[in-house]
Amino acid sequence: MNESAAARSERRAERSLGALSSLVLVLIAAMCTFVLLKAWPSFSHNGPMWFGWGGNVDDQLTAIFNSPANPAKWDYTIRTWPILYATALVTIISVGIGIVVSTLAAVFIVEFAPDSAKRVVSPVIRLLAAVPSVIYGLIGILVLVPFVGNHLISEGRKNAVTFVVQLSGASLGVAVVILTIMITPIMVAIIADAFRAVPNGWKEGAIALGANRWRVMWTVVVRSARPAIIAAAVIAAARAIGEGIMLAMVSGSVGFAPNPMDGITFVFEPMRPYAATIVDNAEGLSVKPFGQTIYAMAAVLLFASLMLSLGGNLAKRPLRKYGVRL
Amino acid sequence: MSRSRITVAAVSAVAAMVVAPAAASAKPIITISGSTSVAPLTAKLIPAFLKSSVGKNKATFKLYQGGSDIGVADVSAGRVTIGEASRDLKSSDAGGIVWNKIARDAVCVAVNNGNGVSTLSSAQVQDIFSGTVRNWSDVTGSGKTTSINLYVRTAASGTQDAFQKLFMGAKTVSSSAAQKASNGLIQNSIKTDPNGIGYVSFDFLGGIKGLSYQGVPCTLTNAKSGAYSAVRNFWMITRGAPTGVTASFIRWVQNDKAAQKIVAAGWVPLV
Repeated sequence: MNESAAARSERRAERSLGALSSLVLVLIAAMCTFVLLKAWPSFSHNGPMWFGWGGNVDDQLTAIFNSPANPAKWDYTIRTWPILYATALVTIISVGIGIVVSTLAAVFIVEFAPDSAKRVVSPVIRLLAAVPSVIYGLIGILVLVPFVGNHLISEGRKNAVTFVVQLSGASLGVAVVILTIMITPIMVAIIADAFRAVPNGWKEGAIALGANRWRVMWTVVVRSARPAIIAAAVIAAARAIGEGIMLAMVSGSVGFAPNPMDGITFVFEPMRPYAATIVDNAEGLSVKPFGQTIYAMAAVLLFASLMLSLGGNLAKRPLRKYGVRL
Repeated sequence: MSRSRITVAAVSAVAAMVVAPAAASAKPIITISGSTSVAPLTAKLIPAFLKSSVGKNKATFKLYQGGSDIGVADVSAGRVTIGEASRDLKSSDAGGIVWNKIARDAVCVAVNNGNGVSTLSSAQVQDIFSGTVRNWSDVTGSGKTTSINLYVRTAASGTQDAFQKLFMGAKTVSSSAAQKASNGLIQNSIKTDPNGIGYVSFDFLGGIKGLSYQGVPCTLTNAKSGAYSAVRNFWMITRGAPTGVTASFIRWVQNDKAAQKIVAAGWVPLV
């Protein structure tokens, strides 16, 4: 074969880049396999009822932790419905509110903000997106949780539910508020970038047809950026599901499933999602059955992230013909 | 084209082999089971021992739990090398086992600084933490009429185990209590919640009010003198006198400065 030097170095680059990306795939596959292998005993002992309800999940975790040393007598019984429900609630509500707020904020930043405001707001949003989540957790437990517990929840409300759960301020409401504040900056940055990428010709055409600026933004720009909005929602949801430390501090630290039938009290009820449960119980990993249960929760989170990415890709497919950026 | 594919596959195979676990070595395996209170201390001591000059590469440790009774039973029957207990010798325990004391631990009940309570009897502590008493108006001296907010530790906590054994006896802690992951988080929760009550290691009373238990204040002096009753011993139990690496481990824990520093970080050291 007669290859020029340029073609040879091109093939070298191709091979090394291919090897690097294969290495990443191998690492991801190894990580998933490791977690699944460790988690398998917990799933096999409980079956599909691992996600079901029945009994108090905190008491079950304590019983698993106190298993005797004899492997034949290890306790695996767990029903993680309250934790699953808490994870779903906090993620869906935060991402829902986040999408609305960040779309409107992005519309403002791209179209309606005066130049001086644009110069300030855009860098600030990117800065906020980089703040570590522990900072939000500290602000939560030092400021928000005492404020909610001592000033927003009345004594009557606390006494009304005192035989079921304690309302101390750390709750679903505080968790949703802080999580929304955490995930909105990333979404605003992504969606604003997508809005800016819409060709000017489309916007000018709409204006020429008589639409005012708000209609142009809403009917042309936001519609064409829908794939980016979905991508932003998927990234935000992945961050919300995996948020462990902040939620462990502010969400209430009880394996309780908040009841929407309670009215306003629903917002003040404590709960604890999967990642927060893993953070709180990580010190028990040395007890084998307990460690396997924690790995099982980690496997659920891994699976959820994978499904989120897949779901996001599937949701963007029908929008391909409208979208500017996929 | 297939040549570059083979090269890519070869590079990733080498990378995968690097990631694969190392082969098992032929070191003795020391199994430890027993008290869930001692286990957190042991979990800290093991890596420090394996790093020390005495313990480097000497053994592999496997740490189980199950409770003090399980530890005593396992080591008596020869199922494990070391049994751990956070209670003292009982007459019903089997003979032929040697109890080696390694540390002591004190647990204090604490409330918010704005709470008027200064001492609790054992019946009061049990009623409050089991959920029988749910309002501060039922606790003498508090001066409040609000509902009680309980802060306890997660299942893996040794402090939780101590509290259950030293204070609660046969009663169980209410399942509506908020389970926090560390002494520090309990301390912070009680500091910011005027209605809060919880238990912490005596190190963590900054900013909150440690209560006297049955009239005796919770301090290091009282813990060392024995006046404060909620202190327990940590034991490592062996079948007969300890030998080999087990003996050097227990001796290291009891005497070495590095080990005593780890003990002093959260427990009452022996000396």
